[in-house]
Amino acid sequence: MVIDLKRCIGCYGCQLSCKAEHGTPPGVLFARVLKREEGQYPTVRQIFLPVLCNHCEDAPCIDVCPTGASFRWEEDGIVDIDHDKCVGCRACMMGCPYNNRYFNEERLDYFHDAGATPYEEARTMRHQDGVVMKCNFCRDRVRAGKEPACVANCPTVARYFGDLDDPTSEVSRLIKERDGFTLHPEVGTGPAVYYLPQ
Amino acid sequence: MATARYDRLIDDLRSEYRPQREWAEGRGLFLVIGHFLVGVAAGTWLMGLLYGVIEALIVAFALACLGGLAHLAFLGRPERAWKMMTRTASSWIARGFWGLSLFLAGGFLCLVPELWTGAPWSANSALSMAGYGLAFAGMVVLIVYMGFVYTSSKAIPFWNSPLHPVLYIAYACRGGTAALIIVMTASSRPIETGSALLEVWMAITAVVAVLWLLELQSAATGGNTAARRSVRELLAGRVALYFYGGILVIGLAVPAVLVAGIAAPLSQATLAAIGLASVVGDFFMKYSSIRAGIYLPLRTHHE
Amino acid sequence: MNLIRPGEKQETSPKPSDDVWLPSSCSLCYGTCSILAHRVDGVVVKIEGNPDSAVGKGRLCGKGVSGLMSHYDPHRLKKPLRRTNPDKGIGIDPGWKEISWDEALDEIAGHLRRIHEDDPRKLTVQRTTTVTSGRSPFQSFAAGFGTPNISTAGGGLHCGNGAHLISGIMHASWSIVPDFEYCNYAIYFGASKGHGAGHASCSNMGKAADARAGGMKMVVVDPMCNFASAKATEWVPLRVGTDAALALAMCNVMVNELGVYDAPYLKAKTNAPYLIGPDGLYVRDAETDAPLVWDSAAGQARPFGDADAEDMALEGSFEVQGVACRPAFEILRQHLEQFTPDWAEEISTIPAADVRRLGTEFATEARIGSTIVIDGVTLPYRPAAAIAFRGSQGHMNSVYNLLAIDLLNQLVGSADMVGGCLGFNPACHGHPDTGRPYYVPHPDKDGLMIAGMWMGYLYPYPIHEPALPEKTGLQDLFVLGMTSPFLSSTDAEELWQKFDLPYRPAMLINHGCNLMMSIANKETVAEALKKYEFIVSFDLLLTETSDFVDIVLPDCDYLESVDSRSNFPFIFSLPGGMGEWCWPIRQPVVEPDGEQRRFADVLADLAERAGFGPDYNAALNAGLDLQPPYRLAPDRKYRSEEVCDAELKSKFGDERGYEWFKEHGLIKWPKKPQEVYWRHFEPVRVPIYWEWMPTVRDKMNAITEPRGITMPEEYYRPLPDWLPCASHTCKTDGFDLTAFYYRDSVHTNSYTMENPWLDEAARLDPYSYAIAINAKTGRAKGLTDGQPIALETETGRRVTGRVRLTEAIHPEGVGIAALCGHWSDGMPVAKGKGVFFNDLLELNWDRCSPANINLDLCVRVRVGPAEKTSS
Ligand SMILES: Nc1nc2c(c(=O)[nH]1)N[C@H]1C(S)=C(S)[C@@H](COP(=O)(O)OP(=O)(O)OC[C@H]3O[C@@H](n4cnc5c(=O)[nH]c(N)nc54)[C@H](O)[C@@H]3O)O[C@H]1N2
Ligand SMILES: Nc1nc2c(c(=O)[nH]1)N[C@H]1C(S)=C(S)[C@@H](COP(=O)(O)OP(=O)(O)OC[C@H]3O[C@@H](n4cnc5c(=O)[nH]c(N)nc54)[C@H](O)[C@@H]3O)O[C@H]1N2
Ligand code: SF4
Ligand code: SF4
Ligand code: SF4
Ligand code: SF4
Ligand code: SF4
Ligand SMILES: [Mo]
Repeated sequence: MVIDLKRCIGCYGCQLSCKAEHGTPPGVLFARVLKREEGQYPTVRQIFLPVLCNHCEDAPCIDVCPTGASFRWEEDGIVDIDHDKCVGCRACMMGCPYNNRYFNEERLDYFHDAGATPYEEARTMRHQDGVVMKCNFCRDRVRAGKEPACVANCPTVARYFGDLDDPTSEVSRLIKERDGFTLHPEVGTGPAVYYLPQ
Repeated sequence: MATARYDRLIDDLRSEYRPQREWAEGRGLFLVIGHFLVGVAAGTWLMGLLYGVIEALIVAFALACLGGLAHLAFLGRPERAWKMMTRTASSWIARGFWGLSLFLAGGFLCLVPELWTGAPWSANSALSMAGYGLAFAGMVVLIVYMGFVYTSSKAIPFWNSPLHPVLYIAYACRGGTAALIIVMTASSRPIETGSALLEVWMAITAVVAVLWLLELQSAATGGNTAARRSVRELLAGRVALYFYGGILVIGLAVPAVLVAGIAAPLSQATLAAIGLASVVGDFFMKYSSIRAGIYLPLRTHHE
Repeated sequence: MNLIRPGEKQETSPKPSDDVWLPSSCSLCYGTCSILAHRVDGVVVKIEGNPDSAVGKGRLCGKGVSGLMSHYDPHRLKKPLRRTNPDKGIGIDPGWKEISWDEALDEIAGHLRRIHEDDPRKLTVQRTTTVTSGRSPFQSFAAGFGTPNISTAGGGLHCGNGAHLISGIMHASWSIVPDFEYCNYAIYFGASKGHGAGHASCSNMGKAADARAGGMKMVVVDPMCNFASAKATEWVPLRVGTDAALALAMCNVMVNELGVYDAPYLKAKTNAPYLIGPDGLYVRDAETDAPLVWDSAAGQARPFGDADAEDMALEGSFEVQGVACRPAFEILRQHLEQFTPDWAEEISTIPAADVRRLGTEFATEARIGSTIVIDGVTLPYRPAAAIAFRGSQGHMNSVYNLLAIDLLNQLVGSADMVGGCLGFNPACHGHPDTGRPYYVPHPDKDGLMIAGMWMGYLYPYPIHEPALPEKTGLQDLFVLGMTSPFLSSTDAEELWQKFDLPYRPAMLINHGCNLMMSIANKETVAEALKKYEFIVSFDLLLTETSDFVDIVLPDCDYLESVDSRSNFPFIFSLPGGMGEWCWPIRQPVVEPDGEQRRFADVLADLAERAGFGPDYNAALNAGLDLQPPYRLAPDRKYRSEEVCDAELKSKFGDERGYEWFKEHGLIKWPKKPQEVYWRHFEPVRVPIYWEWMPTVRDKMNAITEPRGITMPEEYYRPLPDWLPCASHTCKTDGFDLTAFYYRDSVHTNSYTMENPWLDEAARLDPYSYAIAINAKTGRAKGLTDGQPIALETETGRRVTGRVRLTEAIHPEGVGIAALCGHWSDGMPVAKGKGVFFNDLLELNWDRCSPANINLDLCVRVRVGPAEKTSS
């Protein structure tokens, strides 16, 4: 995936469309938008940084997982979690240098005491508790020929999804033309999410 | 309650330096307890073997059992714990799980005939010997693996230090020595053996202290801001109380004072107190260094 | 705890019998983007954008995708409620009792009948701006009933009195936007269009991003570096409320220092060449009364319609009919001379060198004289736009601020030209099959533009004759005002007495609007609400306003409702620029889970029960512009689907009724350059010189002076100036900062804080629920980041919140996001979150613009630490 920071306006659309797609429980945010300031008044700039699982080539979260619940799909390289295998040891959370994993400790409803909404009954309750969750690049959608939810919905078209291994793909081209970079390259994880500079 | 946890998570996610809580707070506390117990158990087993103290082996076994239970209590899905055996190729936790399993199985095999004369196999049987072997292997794994669990946690720069495994080995030895001291005093063995052990304890403690200082020093001066932040948490932040109170006062100052004999002449009770203080200190050492973990913050390299 | 949940089985259960995607429209803000709602077994499980539609183009903002959590809010009202406690007040429990619809409607109809007989004007009809589908039914209801008192409370008053007035008079539209597709240089004065909020908000986000990627330079003038500024090429921080100073100085630089302006445009498309006499009025033709221009070719003055535009003089002094006169442009040019960059720096804190540079850049980037070919049509190409909205308009000086900013566009000829500043779709030639809807701006007798389409009955131009007020809001006296503060202000009664208002408001019908929060401080609004004898409110939730209501009616929400015109009028929330005309509808995607009813059906029911059903239908016929044979008959009650069907068939032909639209969701057809760049084609001019202003004042004074109020002369001049707000003249020690608010992109006004997904996002945001203060200023005051602080006004009003020390704000500014700080138990997710900015605002004559009665939204404050309060 490629995220164009020049286009991104920090609207939280990705964070929320991901929530809507997966019905993730409170506090589980496969996609997030971070905001920070750069510089000093008056030459300051607000920076918006949308983040999600980087589907790292050399994924530390897989390495540290004792059960094999964290794994990579052979055919597409997507790093995923098999929730039926996960024991909830959270080692992967300590392994992911990108803070993109969430422990769904116990059931929580968004309206708290008022209980689950029909939407949550239908969607959120599909998720297991006691396990770790994260972005799976909307694998179901991708397999069905659609873009990931956060990509399809981004109002500024700041997100692109494609094959990084194919040098002719749009994502590869964008990375090359615009000096795409990854987060924390020093950790050596080989992220598959690239950013195009502001 | 659930809401309070949620509220805190939101605050954490908003903060630039998100503290690690999964492995120290709430249910996470059981992991620290588990690690602590298992670590001490392995060390005690080692010292028990070295000094030939069967009571120490029993204590070690019991501690390991408790440690195992604590681990289960920590897991989100304890009923699937057995699945943790699968990934020994890369996961230190899986290795540790094997270590504990071997240790418990081996310990069981060798201790049962020692304690129960009516056991179906004897203390000298091959089964029992195999038990010793298994337990020994498990012990080695337990002593070694724990530090690597932390070192391989790439999200927490403070733990990434290569010193961590060495530190955890030293911990195990210090814990084992302290536990042995307690066991010895509890079983009213002559005070001299205790004093001799005390010297070993002091040597290991010195090593631990130096390793700690090195680790703090390298984290504080290293490039990583999250690691520096962790040091700040330890020295002047959320976990400073445990650091000063638990590690420095209980784990070092109290034993030191007792050893120097200022408070009381060396007696069985003093020895026991030193052992106890050391063990409690160890707990806080682990607890505070785990809690001081701060996630690597997410930033672009353009900053 | 670890058992598999019932929901988990769904994956393996047989394919659900009900699994559909239905096209409809969002309503989490007034943008009304087109959506597809996915319903499975009776539950809406996903909302996505409708890629077929030009409104949002298949993408939704964060609020739009989160609509389900508002829809399924367990605190939604399900049954009509009646209060049992006659005492009304903040925090006083109304003692709600569930009643039947029949009981509720009978009681309301009884009150309506009584008031109708007594004096229909005693009824006020009010609705939230957030739900655009309320506009036609409620306006028709008021018209059918016979009351002129339609209100949107804080809506319009905060965002539109100046913005809509100037956009209406100068661009024939509700609002303005850069022509993103072709614009190279946009300067924003307090607007977030394309970055967080505003009209066609989500659609513009995509367009603005394309423009940015295409190299459009964007300068954002804003006291805070928030949404638009973050993406700008340059952020220009200014002192709150001083926009006119910058804009006027930029105009001065362009006209007098650089001598750059689009003379052919000014001659042909504005009243710049009209001759102005010594009295400041047009010099008119004795015979035709038409304003005269100086025809240089003929060497004489001629009615503007008789001379060729290119021959009209813009400069010089002439003598016509024995009086000395000058073209309006000449007067403007000289008027601008006083606004030097240094003067502007003094007022706005923007360095004079920057002011000069910005003026130069704007003049250069406009490429005066260039042309471009679009769809085979050659058009003037003016790729520079000056845009404004809520931020610069929310001040005493609202009219001049906006007028001064628009002068930039007028001077370089970029108004509604390619790449310039566009009104939202002021001209439409209709669907090719039917020619409907059709509207274009047209000239009045003076050649000045009358909008072809408007949002209410009263068009912004021609300016109406000031009269003794018949409206409680006094807009018939203050004719430049659109929405009025005087329905709730502390001095409302005093003003009504002064102006002999022959009746007093007695009944309020409210749709959604949460005016306890949306106007100003709560005590003042509470007093006004208490005075109503009877209040009915259509609501989704029990809000702060519900505490004052007598009967609450549970409304259907957007997923349960019908609307025939989601994005019509196009001047409001259809994206501007080339592309497609797009007419989507709203259809119900689920049935209500309780006794909720659609407000439109309830209104029809009430009109019938109260005996004015035929008048309501007649008003709908007019309001929806229904053509025969689709006009509603007087003698029957129509359900909302039927009204919807009638409008759709009326607009798009018999075969394209509600059923067709339910399946297709929308109809679209391409825009033509003649529509988008209508100004080049339509024979209309706009006023760079507001000749009528002093006259309007004289007429007002004739009414107000005998009653002790003189309208200040400086607000009624033909040419703009910078005039201070109360915050600019405050000298009291310690009150050294100016608080203002701004929209958060994840929240809509006061509504969405109750949506827990959006609340979660806002809680994760560093600014949403905090009080932003410049880091240096804050540190000098001894504040630390995150600390609870209090803001206090000179009048003793006070709000508290966590401080966010930031580099991204003017050193004198205090920025507060959104409309937070709920206290109603009916909105438990929202309760206690964020900062209630409006509680700092006074609501009275002194804080309103004497020109357009716009409420001043900036306020001087003192900052200090607060006792720890819930944030
Ligand atoms: N501090 C501050 N003050 C502001 C603003 C701000 O941003 N900050 N914005 C100002 C502006 S420009 C405006 S326009 C006003 C807006 O002020 P309001 O018109 O009061 O708008 P909202 O605050 O969005 O409140 C909308 C209400 O409508 C209800 N609602 C939503 N959908 C439906 C529906 O389908 N049916 C019914 N019956 N009710 C519904 C919601 O429950 C909510 O209570 O506020 C103004 N005041
Ligand atoms: N996300 C979202 N979208 C919305 C709404 C919403 O509540 N949320 N509300 C809808 C409604 S009702 C409206 S009216 C529109 C309003 O849409 P906008 O006009 O974008 O509204 P604001 O964000 O209030 O104001 C714009 C900017 O003005 C700045 N500002 C404040 N004071 C001044 C000043 O004195 N001078 C200048 N130059 N700038 C100033 C603020 O910092 C802010 O960045 O948005 C609509 N769309
Ligand atoms: S949806 Fe797109 S524009 Fe919005 S925050 Fe995410 S990446 Fe940025
Ligand atoms: S970003 Fe984190 S969770 Fe995702 S693959 Fe990389 S290490 Fe694993
Ligand atoms: S929490 Fe689950 S996925 Fe993560 S490391 Fe443990 S078993 Fe693997
Ligand atoms: S790819 Fe899918 S799962 Fe991942 S962040 Fe985007 S929407 Fe969420
Ligand atoms: S901009 Fe408004 S209408 Fe469009 S998706 Fe967002 S909330 Fe809905
Ligand atoms: Mo508004």
